[in-house]
Amino acid sequence: MLEVAALSHFYGKHQALADIALAIGQGEIVAILGANGAGKSTLLKSIAGLVKPAPGATIRFEGHHIGELPAHLIVERGIALVPEGRGVFGDLTVAENLQLGAYPARARAGEADRLARILRLFPRLAERMAQAVRTMSGGEQQMVAIGRALMSNPLLLLLDEPSLGLSPLLSREVFRALAEIRSSGLSVLLVEQNARASLDIADRVYLIESGRNAGSGPASAMKNDPEVQRAYLGKARAAPSPP
Amino acid sequence: MLLVDIILPGLVLGGMYALIALGLTLQYGVARIMNLSYGESLVAAAFGAFSLYGGLGLSPLAALLLAVPVAMVLNWLLYRLLLERLMRRGKDRGAQEIDSILVTFGVLFVIQGAMLVAFGGQYYSYSYLSIPLTIMGSTLAVNRLVALLFAALVGGAVYLALTRTRIGTAVRAIAVDANAARLVGIDVAALSGLAFAFGGGLVAVGGVLISMFLTFNAAMGVVFTMKALVVIIMGGVGNVIGALVAGLLLGVVETAVARLVDPGLTLAATYALFLGVLVIKPTGLFGRAAS
Repeated sequence: MLEVAALSHFYGKHQALADIALAIGQGEIVAILGANGAGKSTLLKSIAGLVKPAPGATIRFEGHHIGELPAHLIVERGIALVPEGRGVFGDLTVAENLQLGAYPARARAGEADRLARILRLFPRLAERMAQAVRTMSGGEQQMVAIGRALMSNPLLLLLDEPSLGLSPLLSREVFRALAEIRSSGLSVLLVEQNARASLDIADRVYLIESGRNAGSGPASAMKNDPEVQRAYLGKARAAPSPP
Repeated sequence: MLLVDIILPGLVLGGMYALIALGLTLQYGVARIMNLSYGESLVAAAFGAFSLYGGLGLSPLAALLLAVPVAMVLNWLLYRLLLERLMRRGKDRGAQEIDSILVTFGVLFVIQGAMLVAFGGQYYSYSYLSIPLTIMGSTLAVNRLVALLFAALVGGAVYLALTRTRIGTAVRAIAVDANAARLVGIDVAALSGLAFAFGGGLVAVGGVLISMFLTFNAAMGVVFTMKALVVIIMGGVGNVIGALVAGLLLGVVETAVARLVDPGLTLAATYALFLGVLVIKPTGLFGRAAS
C-alpha cells in the first residue's frame, strides 16, 4: 500500500536520507531499526509531509503519488503520524485532542464508534477525558497521541519512538495496544529504540544506517541474525537476559 | 453609591478591553502575527461609525453590519497577500515575529496617515443614545450599557464558538502547536488567515462600540494596541478565557483609580497591575506553568 523509492533529504548540506526504498503491505507491521541520527524520524516525517523530500523521490500510497502533498492532505489520504515527543496539544483536554483527531473529512463518519473503540483500547483515557493533557504522565500522553492518530481513521499508522521515556510497564501497555491495533487490519510503520519489543511485534524489518538502507527481512529471521543481535539487541555474548 | 459608580463603568470599559483583546488573541495567539496596527484598525472603525452616523444617519449598531465584514475582508487580504508570505519565509518563530512587527508597523502609519488626511488631528465624538439612566444610585448613559451588552453578546458568542465547535477547537489547537495541528489534518495557513480576519472583525466591533461613548482622534490607536497587548499577556497568550477576565479586571481597576485617586494615573495603574501579575505569574493569570 505504501511504496517509497529514491527518497533523499538534506538538512542544509547534511544529507539525512540517501536513496531510501521501502514498501509496506496491507495489514503489515514494519519496523525500522537504526542508531540515533540514522534518519528514521526524517523518513517518517517525509512520508507524513512534514519535510519535503529532495527531487526525484517517489512516495506512493494506494497507487497515488503523495510526495508533493502538504501534511494536512496526507492525513486525509489515510496516513497518521504519531511524532517523536508525541505532539499532543498539551493545553487542551483529552476529549478535545481526540475530537481533533477526527478533524479530517475521512474521519467524520463513524467517529463515535471509533472513539468508543479507542477508549476500550486505553481505558485510562476514559477516566481522564476532561483533563488537560500536559498534566498527564508520559505514558498517558502517548496513549492520547496514539488515540488521536487512530481517530483520523487511518489505513497506515506511523509511530516514531512510541515507548521513548516510558516506564517498562507502560511501554508494555503501548505494545499490547499495538498488537490489538494490528488485529483491526491497520498497517503500521514503527520506529523504535526498543529493538527487542519491535522485533517481537513486527512482520518485517528494515535496517537503516547513516540515512541508507542497510538490509531488510522478516522479523523472525532478523531476530536470529548475529549481526542484528550485536548491533541492535545489545547481545555481545549470549548473556542471559535479566528477568 | 461609590461601588456601583466604579463597577458599572469599569465593566463597560473592561468589556471593550476584553473584546479587543479577544481579537488580538486570534491574531497573535493563533495566526502568530504581532499586529502593531491593531489600534489603528479600531480607530478607523470608530471613524467609520462616526461618518455613517453623521453622513447617512445610520445608527452605530447598524454600522456594525457594514464595518465588521469590511474589516474582515481587509484583514484577510492583508494576511494572505502580505503576512503569510513573510511567515513562510521566516526561518523561525523569532524571525517571523520581527518581520510581522516591521510590516504591521508600516501598516500602522498607512492607516493613521489616511485618517489624518481625511479627519485631521482633532478629537471627534457624536451623540447617540446619550440618555442618562440611574441604576442603584449611579448614573450611566444608555449608550455605554448598549456597548457593554453588545460586547458581552459578541464576546460570549466567540468564546462558545472557540470552545464548543470543532473548527473553534482547531483554531485553539493551532495556538497550542501549529505543527501538531498539521498532523491532524488542519490546514494551518487557511485557518490562521480566517482567525486573523476574525480578529480584525472583533476589533472593528470594539471600535464602533467605543465610538458611541468615547472621544477619539486619528493618533490614539497605539493606546488601544498597548492595552490589548497588556490584557492578552496578563491573561496568558492564546488563552481565550484569560483575555476575557484580564480585560474586565483592567477596566475595573482603571476606573477605580481614575475615580478614587486621579484620572491621570490610569495608565500608571494599568502597568502597575501588569507588572504585578507578571512578577507573581510570569505566564499570565491563566497561562500554563513553564513546561
